[in-house]
Amino acid sequence: MHHFTATKMSPSMKMADQIDANPRLLLMLQHFNIDFRVSDLTVSQLCKQYEISEALFVDIANLYNGFGAKKNHTYTKKDLLQVIDFLKNSHHYYRSDMYPQINSYIQLLQKNHPEREFKLLNRFFNEYFTEVLEHLDYEDNVAFPYFIKLLKNRSEESVPEQFSSTEYSEHHTDIELKLHDLKNLLLKYVNIEGDLDLRRKLFFALYELEYDLFVHSLIEESILIPSGANIEKKENA
Amino acid sequence: MLKTTLHIVILESSKIIFEGLYSILYQSDIYCRVYRAENIDELSDILKTEKINIIIANPVHFVNRDKEINKIKKEFPSLSIVGIDFGVMHKAVIETDASFTLYDTPEHILHLISRMDNRNKSISGNSDDSDNLTKRELEVLTCIVNGKLNKEIAEELNISIHTVVRHRKNITTKTGIRSQSGLTIYAISKKIVEIEDIEI
Ligand SMILES: [Fe+2]
Ligand SMILES: [Fe+2]
Repeated sequence: MHHFTATKMSPSMKMADQIDANPRLLLMLQHFNIDFRVSDLTVSQLCKQYEISEALFVDIANLYNGFGAKKNHTYTKKDLLQVIDFLKNSHHYYRSDMYPQINSYIQLLQKNHPEREFKLLNRFFNEYFTEVLEHLDYEDNVAFPYFIKLLKNRSEESVPEQFSSTEYSEHHTDIELKLHDLKNLLLKYVNIEGDLDLRRKLFFALYELEYDLFVHSLIEESILIPSGANIEKKENA
Repeated sequence: MLKTTLHIVILESSKIIFEGLYSILYQSDIYCRVYRAENIDELSDILKTEKINIIIANPVHFVNRDKEINKIKKEFPSLSIVGIDFGVMHKAVIETDASFTLYDTPEHILHLISRMDNRNKSISGNSDDSDNLTKRELEVLTCIVNGKLNKEIAEELNISIHTVVRHRKNITTKTGIRSQSGLTIYAISKKIVEIEDIEI
Protein backbone atom coordinates (compact mmCIF):
# COMPACT_ATOMS: atom_id res chain seq x y z
CA MET A 1 0.00 0.00 0.00
CA HIS A 2 1.31 3.37 -0.88
CA HIS A 3 1.96 5.62 2.04
CA PHE A 4 1.50 9.27 1.22
CA THR A 5 3.52 11.20 3.75
CA ALA A 6 5.13 14.14 2.01
CA THR A 7 5.37 17.09 4.35
CA LYS A 8 5.40 20.70 3.39
CA MET A 9 8.89 22.16 3.60
CA SER A 10 9.54 25.21 5.71
CA PRO A 11 12.78 27.25 5.91
CA SER A 12 13.67 26.15 9.45
CA MET A 13 13.83 22.44 8.56
CA LYS A 14 17.14 20.63 8.11
CA MET A 15 17.87 20.01 4.46
CA ALA A 16 19.33 16.54 5.12
CA ASP A 17 16.07 15.40 6.77
CA GLN A 18 14.13 16.75 3.83
CA ILE A 19 16.22 14.73 1.37
CA ASP A 20 15.71 11.67 3.51
CA ALA A 21 11.96 12.14 3.30
CA ASN A 22 11.98 12.77 -0.44
CA PRO A 23 15.17 11.79 -2.31
CA ARG A 24 13.83 13.46 -5.45
CA LEU A 25 14.94 16.72 -3.85
CA LEU A 26 18.49 15.72 -4.81
CA LEU A 27 17.56 16.41 -8.41
CA MET A 28 16.24 19.77 -7.40
CA LEU A 29 19.50 20.59 -5.59
CA GLN A 30 21.41 19.65 -8.71
CA HIS A 31 19.25 21.90 -10.87
CA PHE A 32 20.00 24.72 -8.41
CA ASN A 33 23.75 23.92 -8.59
CA ILE A 34 23.81 23.03 -4.90
CA ASP A 35 26.16 20.34 -3.65
CA PHE A 36 24.62 17.23 -2.08
CA ARG A 37 26.73 17.49 1.08
CA VAL A 38 24.31 19.76 2.87
CA SER A 39 25.87 19.15 6.31
CA ASP A 40 23.62 20.17 9.14
CA LEU A 41 22.28 23.25 7.43
CA THR A 42 18.68 24.33 7.59
CA VAL A 43 16.92 25.17 4.35
CA SER A 44 17.23 28.83 5.20
CA GLN A 45 20.99 28.63 5.83
CA LEU A 46 21.53 26.64 2.68
CA CYS A 47 19.71 29.25 0.59
CA LYS A 48 21.79 32.01 2.11
CA GLN A 49 25.02 30.15 1.39
CA TYR A 50 24.09 29.66 -2.27
CA GLU A 51 22.39 33.07 -2.61
CA ILE A 52 19.08 31.61 -3.66
CA SER A 53 15.79 33.16 -2.69
CA GLU A 54 14.36 31.20 0.21
CA ALA A 55 10.74 31.66 -0.89
CA LEU A 56 11.54 30.42 -4.37
CA PHE A 57 13.50 27.43 -3.07
CA VAL A 58 10.73 26.38 -0.69
CA ASP A 59 8.03 26.79 -3.36
CA ILE A 60 9.90 24.62 -5.84
CA ALA A 61 10.74 22.05 -3.15
CA ASN A 62 7.06 21.81 -2.31
CA LEU A 63 6.27 21.12 -5.94
CA TYR A 64 8.76 18.24 -5.71
CA ASN A 65 7.05 17.19 -2.47
CA GLY A 66 3.81 16.76 -4.37
CA PHE A 67 1.95 19.92 -3.40
CA GLY A 68 0.14 22.00 -5.96
CA ALA A 69 1.38 25.29 -7.30
CA LYS A 70 0.83 28.39 -5.21
CA LYS A 71 -1.29 31.10 -6.65
CA ASN A 72 -0.53 34.79 -6.69
CA HIS A 73 3.00 34.52 -5.49
CA THR A 74 5.19 37.42 -6.45
CA TYR A 75 8.81 36.81 -7.26
CA THR A 76 11.52 39.38 -7.83
CA LYS A 77 13.24 39.71 -11.18
CA LYS A 78 16.35 38.22 -9.64
CA ASP A 79 14.32 35.20 -8.48
CA LEU A 80 12.98 34.71 -11.97
CA LEU A 81 16.43 34.81 -13.50
CA GLN A 82 17.33 32.05 -11.06
CA VAL A 83 14.28 30.12 -12.18
CA ILE A 84 15.52 30.32 -15.75
CA ASP A 85 18.95 29.02 -14.70
CA PHE A 86 17.22 26.20 -12.87
CA LEU A 87 15.18 25.30 -15.95
CA LYS A 88 18.24 25.44 -18.18
CA ASN A 89 20.08 23.07 -15.87
CA SER A 90 17.10 20.72 -16.03
CA HIS A 91 17.24 20.81 -19.81
CA HIS A 92 20.86 19.82 -19.61
CA TYR A 93 19.90 16.88 -17.42
CA TYR A 94 17.24 15.69 -19.89
CA ARG A 95 19.58 16.00 -22.86
CA SER A 96 22.85 14.73 -21.51
CA ASP A 97 21.82 12.38 -18.74
CA MET A 98 18.30 11.00 -19.08
CA TYR A 99 18.15 10.68 -22.83
CA PRO A 100 21.44 8.77 -23.29
CA GLN A 101 20.64 6.62 -20.26
CA ILE A 102 17.17 5.59 -21.41
CA ASN A 103 18.39 5.22 -24.96
CA SER A 104 21.18 2.87 -23.88
CA TYR A 105 18.72 0.62 -22.00
CA ILE A 106 16.46 0.46 -25.01
CA GLN A 107 19.36 -0.33 -27.35
CA LEU A 108 20.51 -3.15 -25.05
CA LEU A 109 17.00 -4.54 -24.80
CA GLN A 110 16.63 -4.43 -28.53
CA LYS A 111 19.84 -6.37 -28.92
CA ASN A 112 18.54 -9.11 -26.62
CA HIS A 113 15.06 -9.10 -28.12
CA PRO A 114 15.25 -8.68 -31.86
CA GLU A 115 11.47 -8.95 -32.33
CA ARG A 116 10.08 -6.38 -34.68
CA GLU A 117 7.65 -5.27 -32.01
CA PHE A 118 10.54 -3.96 -30.02
CA LYS A 119 11.89 -2.14 -33.01
CA LEU A 120 8.64 -0.20 -33.09
CA LEU A 121 8.96 0.64 -29.45
CA ASN A 122 12.44 1.93 -30.08
CA ARG A 123 11.10 4.10 -32.87
CA PHE A 124 8.33 5.34 -30.61
CA PHE A 125 10.86 6.37 -28.00
CA ASN A 126 13.00 8.16 -30.54
CA GLU A 127 10.04 10.04 -31.94
CA TYR A 128 9.07 10.97 -28.43
CA PHE A 129 12.48 12.24 -27.56
CA THR A 130 12.85 14.18 -30.78
CA GLU A 131 9.70 16.00 -29.74
CA VAL A 132 11.12 16.67 -26.28
CA LEU A 133 14.37 17.98 -27.73
CA GLU A 134 12.51 20.28 -30.12
CA HIS A 135 10.61 21.67 -27.18
CA LEU A 136 13.79 22.21 -25.17
CA ASP A 137 15.39 23.96 -28.14
CA TYR A 138 12.34 26.17 -28.53
CA GLU A 139 12.59 27.21 -24.89
CA ASP A 140 16.34 27.72 -24.94
CA ASN A 141 16.24 29.74 -28.16
CA VAL A 142 12.90 31.55 -28.04
CA ALA A 143 11.12 31.46 -24.71
CA PHE A 144 13.98 31.97 -22.28
CA PRO A 145 15.72 34.76 -24.23
CA TYR A 146 12.35 36.49 -24.38
CA PHE A 147 11.93 36.29 -20.60
CA ILE A 148 15.53 37.29 -19.92
CA LYS A 149 15.12 40.40 -22.03
CA LEU A 150 11.93 41.22 -20.23
CA LEU A 151 13.56 40.75 -16.82
CA LYS A 152 16.62 42.77 -17.68
CA ASN A 153 14.51 45.72 -18.80
CA ARG A 154 15.58 45.52 -22.35
CA SER A 155 12.14 45.04 -23.78
CA GLU A 156 12.77 47.69 -26.41
CA GLU A 157 15.07 45.29 -28.22
CA SER A 158 13.15 43.31 -30.77
CA VAL A 159 12.19 39.76 -29.89
CA PRO A 160 13.19 37.29 -32.59
CA GLU A 161 9.97 35.32 -32.59
CA GLN A 162 6.71 35.92 -30.82
CA PHE A 163 6.31 33.68 -27.88
CA SER A 164 2.93 32.11 -27.16
CA SER A 165 2.11 30.74 -23.76
CA THR A 166 -0.86 28.62 -24.87
CA GLU A 167 1.22 26.86 -27.48
CA TYR A 168 3.74 26.37 -24.76
CA SER A 169 1.51 24.42 -22.39
CA GLU A 170 0.14 22.33 -25.27
CA HIS A 171 3.69 21.11 -25.88
CA HIS A 172 3.83 20.04 -22.26
CA THR A 173 0.61 18.06 -22.46
CA ASP A 174 1.79 16.28 -25.61
CA ILE A 175 5.07 15.33 -24.01
CA GLU A 176 3.37 14.01 -20.89
CA LEU A 177 0.88 11.92 -22.84
CA LYS A 178 3.51 10.20 -24.97
CA LEU A 179 5.59 9.28 -21.95
CA HIS A 180 2.45 7.92 -20.35
CA ASP A 181 1.84 5.77 -23.44
CA LEU A 182 5.37 4.43 -23.34
CA LYS A 183 5.04 3.37 -19.72
CA ASN A 184 1.66 1.76 -20.31
CA LEU A 185 2.97 -0.17 -23.32
CA LEU A 186 5.81 -1.57 -21.24
CA LEU A 187 3.66 -2.31 -18.20
CA LYS A 188 0.68 -3.81 -19.94
CA TYR A 189 1.27 -4.92 -23.48
CA VAL A 190 4.68 -5.38 -25.05
CA ASN A 191 5.86 -8.99 -24.73
CA ILE A 192 9.42 -9.20 -23.48
CA GLU A 193 10.64 -12.27 -21.61
CA GLY A 194 13.09 -11.94 -18.73
CA ASP A 195 15.77 -9.26 -18.70
CA LEU A 196 14.29 -7.94 -15.49
CA ASP A 197 17.40 -6.02 -14.41
CA LEU A 198 17.49 -4.03 -17.58
CA ARG A 199 13.76 -3.48 -17.70
CA ARG A 200 13.68 -2.31 -14.08
CA LYS A 201 16.42 0.19 -14.82
CA LEU A 202 14.43 1.40 -17.81
CA PHE A 203 11.30 1.80 -15.69
CA PHE A 204 13.12 3.66 -12.95
CA ALA A 205 14.65 6.00 -15.48
CA LEU A 206 11.26 6.62 -17.13
CA TYR A 207 9.63 7.34 -13.77
CA GLU A 208 12.48 9.64 -12.78
CA LEU A 209 12.14 11.50 -16.07
CA GLU A 210 8.37 11.66 -15.80
CA TYR A 211 8.47 13.16 -12.33
CA ASP A 212 11.08 15.74 -13.11
CA LEU A 213 9.37 16.76 -16.34
CA PHE A 214 6.10 17.09 -14.49
CA VAL A 215 7.54 19.47 -11.90
CA HIS A 216 9.52 21.24 -14.60
CA SER A 217 6.37 22.05 -16.61
CA LEU A 218 4.64 23.18 -13.43
CA ILE A 219 7.47 25.62 -12.72
CA GLU A 220 7.28 26.97 -16.24
CA GLU A 221 3.50 27.27 -16.24
CA SER A 222 2.88 28.39 -12.69
CA ILE A 223 5.95 30.51 -11.92
CA LEU A 224 7.71 31.71 -15.06
CA ILE A 225 4.83 32.48 -17.41
CA PRO A 226 2.48 34.26 -14.96
CA SER A 227 5.34 36.34 -13.55
CA GLY A 228 6.45 37.29 -17.04
CA ALA A 229 2.91 38.31 -17.91
CA ASN A 230 2.77 40.48 -14.78
CA ILE A 231 5.94 42.31 -15.71
CA GLU A 232 4.61 42.88 -19.21
CA LYS A 233 1.43 44.36 -17.81
CA LYS A 234 3.30 46.69 -15.46
CA GLU A 235 5.61 47.89 -18.18
CA ASN A 236 2.83 48.56 -20.61
CA ALA A 237 0.86 50.45 -17.98
CA MET B 1 -13.17 -11.02 -7.57
CA LEU B 2 -10.84 -8.23 -8.45
CA LYS B 3 -10.84 -5.39 -5.99
CA THR B 4 -10.21 -1.96 -7.39
CA THR B 5 -8.30 0.66 -5.47
CA LEU B 6 -10.40 3.49 -4.11
CA HIS B 7 -8.90 6.93 -4.45
CA ILE B 8 -10.00 9.04 -1.54
CA VAL B 9 -9.34 12.70 -0.79
CA ILE B 10 -9.68 13.90 2.75
CA LEU B 11 -10.58 17.58 2.69
CA GLU B 12 -9.78 18.66 6.22
CA SER B 13 -7.35 21.22 7.56
CA SER B 14 -6.91 19.55 10.94
CA LYS B 15 -3.92 17.27 10.83
CA ILE B 16 -5.24 15.29 13.81
CA ILE B 17 -8.51 14.46 12.09
CA PHE B 18 -6.74 13.69 8.83
CA GLU B 19 -4.28 11.32 10.48
CA GLY B 20 -7.07 9.62 12.40
CA LEU B 21 -9.16 8.92 9.31
CA TYR B 22 -6.06 7.99 7.39
CA SER B 23 -5.05 5.29 9.85
CA ILE B 24 -8.61 3.92 10.08
CA LEU B 25 -8.66 3.58 6.29
CA TYR B 26 -5.23 2.02 6.00
CA GLN B 27 -5.83 -0.49 8.78
CA SER B 28 -9.06 -1.63 7.13
CA ASP B 29 -9.40 -4.12 4.30
CA ILE B 30 -10.49 -1.39 1.89
CA TYR B 31 -7.91 -1.02 -0.85
CA CYS B 32 -7.34 2.68 -1.07
CA ARG B 33 -5.00 5.50 -1.71
CA VAL B 34 -5.52 8.59 0.40
CA TYR B 35 -4.75 12.17 -0.57
CA ARG B 36 -4.90 15.21 1.62
CA ALA B 37 -6.35 18.57 0.71
CA GLU B 38 -6.38 21.45 3.14
CA ASN B 39 -8.77 23.55 1.10
CA ILE B 40 -10.90 23.60 -2.03
CA ASP B 41 -8.04 24.83 -4.22
CA GLU B 42 -5.83 21.92 -3.23
CA LEU B 43 -8.79 19.62 -3.83
CA SER B 44 -9.25 20.96 -7.36
CA ASP B 45 -5.57 20.42 -8.06
CA ILE B 46 -5.78 16.79 -6.99
CA LEU B 47 -8.93 16.22 -9.05
CA LYS B 48 -7.12 17.54 -12.10
CA THR B 49 -4.46 14.84 -11.99
CA GLU B 50 -5.96 11.89 -10.09
CA LYS B 51 -9.06 9.80 -10.66
CA ILE B 52 -10.80 10.32 -7.35
CA ASN B 53 -13.76 8.20 -6.21
CA ILE B 54 -14.63 9.64 -2.83
CA ILE B 55 -14.16 12.92 -1.00
CA ILE B 56 -14.38 12.92 2.76
CA ALA B 57 -14.92 16.53 3.68
CA ASN B 58 -15.26 18.90 6.53
CA PRO B 59 -18.28 20.85 5.23
CA VAL B 60 -16.86 24.11 6.57
CA HIS B 61 -14.70 24.18 3.42
CA PHE B 62 -17.81 24.36 1.28
CA VAL B 63 -19.14 27.52 2.89
CA ASN B 64 -19.42 30.24 0.25
CA ARG B 65 -17.75 28.05 -2.34
CA ASP B 66 -20.94 26.79 -4.00
CA LYS B 67 -19.72 27.77 -7.43
CA GLU B 68 -16.59 25.64 -7.21
CA ILE B 69 -18.43 22.70 -5.65
CA ASN B 70 -21.10 22.65 -8.30
CA LYS B 71 -18.47 22.79 -10.98
CA ILE B 72 -16.68 19.83 -9.44
CA LYS B 73 -19.92 17.87 -9.11
CA LYS B 74 -20.80 18.54 -12.70
CA GLU B 75 -17.38 17.62 -13.97
CA PHE B 76 -17.11 14.40 -11.94
CA PRO B 77 -20.63 13.02 -11.64
CA SER B 78 -19.52 9.66 -10.24
CA LEU B 79 -17.71 11.30 -7.33
CA SER B 80 -19.18 10.59 -3.89
CA ILE B 81 -18.96 13.15 -1.12
CA VAL B 82 -19.03 12.04 2.49
CA GLY B 83 -19.39 14.84 5.03
CA ILE B 84 -17.91 14.91 8.49
CA ASP B 85 -20.70 15.96 10.82
CA PHE B 86 -19.32 18.25 13.52
CA GLY B 87 -22.70 18.79 15.08
CA VAL B 88 -22.56 22.39 13.90
CA MET B 89 -25.20 23.17 11.33
CA HIS B 90 -23.85 24.78 8.21
CA LYS B 91 -27.42 24.94 6.94
CA ALA B 92 -26.76 22.04 4.58
CA VAL B 93 -24.29 23.97 2.46
CA ILE B 94 -24.19 21.25 -0.13
CA GLU B 95 -25.74 17.87 -0.48
CA THR B 96 -23.46 15.08 0.67
CA ASP B 97 -24.01 11.44 -0.13
CA ALA B 98 -23.52 10.36 3.47
CA SER B 99 -22.08 11.68 6.68
CA PHE B 100 -20.60 10.50 9.94
CA THR B 101 -19.53 12.11 13.20
CA LEU B 102 -16.10 11.95 14.81
CA TYR B 103 -17.60 9.81 17.56
CA ASP B 104 -18.81 7.08 15.22
CA THR B 105 -16.99 3.75 15.40
CA PRO B 106 -14.36 2.98 12.74
CA GLU B 107 -16.57 0.08 11.62
CA HIS B 108 -19.47 2.42 10.98
CA ILE B 109 -17.29 4.84 9.01
CA LEU B 110 -15.75 2.06 6.94
CA HIS B 111 -19.18 0.61 6.26
CA LEU B 112 -20.33 4.00 4.91
CA ILE B 113 -17.30 4.26 2.67
CA SER B 114 -17.61 0.79 1.23
CA ARG B 115 -21.24 1.60 0.46
CA MET B 116 -20.04 4.60 -1.55
CA ASP B 117 -17.72 2.25 -3.38
CA ASN B 118 -20.65 0.09 -4.52
CA ARG B 119 -22.55 3.16 -5.58
CA ASN B 120 -19.57 4.18 -7.69
CA LYS B 121 -19.58 0.86 -9.45
CA SER B 122 -23.25 0.97 -10.31
CA ILE B 123 -22.86 4.44 -11.81
CA SER B 124 -19.80 3.85 -13.90
CA GLY B 125 -21.33 0.50 -14.88
CA ASN B 126 -19.56 -0.97 -17.86
CA SER B 127 -16.47 1.20 -17.74
CA ASP B 128 -14.21 -1.31 -16.04
CA ASP B 129 -10.60 -0.79 -16.94
CA SER B 130 -10.27 -3.95 -19.01
CA ASP B 131 -9.14 -3.41 -22.54
CA ASN B 132 -11.76 -5.63 -24.13
CA LEU B 133 -12.46 -3.73 -27.29
CA THR B 134 -15.74 -4.19 -29.14
CA LYS B 135 -15.74 -5.39 -32.74
CA ARG B 136 -16.37 -1.86 -33.98
CA GLU B 137 -13.57 -0.46 -31.84
CA LEU B 138 -11.21 -3.09 -33.22
CA GLU B 139 -12.11 -1.98 -36.76
CA VAL B 140 -11.48 1.66 -35.88
CA LEU B 141 -8.20 0.70 -34.21
CA THR B 142 -7.04 -1.14 -37.32
CA CYS B 143 -7.77 1.96 -39.39
CA ILE B 144 -5.85 4.15 -36.92
CA VAL B 145 -2.89 1.79 -37.11
CA ASN B 146 -2.98 2.09 -40.89
CA GLY B 147 -2.65 5.83 -40.52
CA LYS B 148 -6.16 6.72 -41.65
CA LEU B 149 -7.69 10.04 -40.67
CA ASN B 150 -11.03 10.32 -38.88
CA LYS B 151 -12.77 11.31 -42.10
CA GLU B 152 -11.37 8.31 -43.98
CA ILE B 153 -12.32 5.97 -41.15
CA ALA B 154 -15.88 7.34 -41.15
CA GLU B 155 -16.18 6.74 -44.89
CA GLU B 156 -14.71 3.27 -44.78
CA LEU B 157 -16.90 2.06 -41.92
CA ASN B 158 -19.90 4.07 -43.05
CA ILE B 159 -20.34 5.89 -39.74
CA SER B 160 -20.26 9.56 -38.78
CA ILE B 161 -17.06 11.34 -37.80
CA HIS B 162 -18.67 12.00 -34.46
CA THR B 163 -19.00 8.24 -33.90
CA VAL B 164 -15.38 7.70 -34.93
CA VAL B 165 -14.29 10.22 -32.34
CA ARG B 166 -16.37 8.46 -29.72
CA HIS B 167 -14.81 5.09 -30.59
CA ARG B 168 -11.35 6.61 -30.41
CA LYS B 169 -12.10 7.98 -26.98
CA ASN B 170 -13.27 4.57 -25.79
CA ILE B 171 -10.21 2.89 -27.23
CA THR B 172 -7.99 5.28 -25.31
CA THR B 173 -9.93 4.82 -22.07
CA LYS B 174 -9.78 1.07 -22.36
CA THR B 175 -6.16 0.70 -23.41
CA GLY B 176 -4.60 3.70 -21.69
CA ILE B 177 -2.82 4.52 -24.96
CA ARG B 178 -3.43 7.76 -26.83
CA SER B 179 -0.94 8.32 -29.62
CA GLN B 180 -1.16 6.69 -33.02
CA SER B 181 2.27 5.08 -32.80
CA GLY B 182 1.50 3.85 -29.30
CA LEU B 183 -1.74 2.26 -30.50
CA THR B 184 0.16 0.56 -33.30
CA ILE B 185 2.42 -1.14 -30.80
CA TYR B 186 -0.61 -2.07 -28.73
CA ALA B 187 -2.35 -3.63 -31.73
CA ILE B 188 0.72 -5.68 -32.56
CA SER B 189 1.31 -6.86 -29.00
CA LYS B 190 -2.31 -7.94 -28.81
CA LYS B 191 -2.03 -9.56 -32.25
CA ILE B 192 -4.89 -7.43 -33.53
CA VAL B 193 -2.84 -6.65 -36.60
CA GLU B 194 0.02 -8.66 -38.05
CA ILE B 195 3.40 -7.10 -37.62
CA GLU B 196 4.24 -7.91 -41.24
CA ASP B 197 1.47 -5.52 -42.26
CA ILE B 198 3.31 -2.63 -40.70
CA GLU B 199 6.17 -0.91 -42.36
CA ILE B 200 9.13 -0.43 -40.12
FE1 LIG C 1 11.65 23.50 -20.15
FE1 LIG D 1 8.76 23.23 -21.19
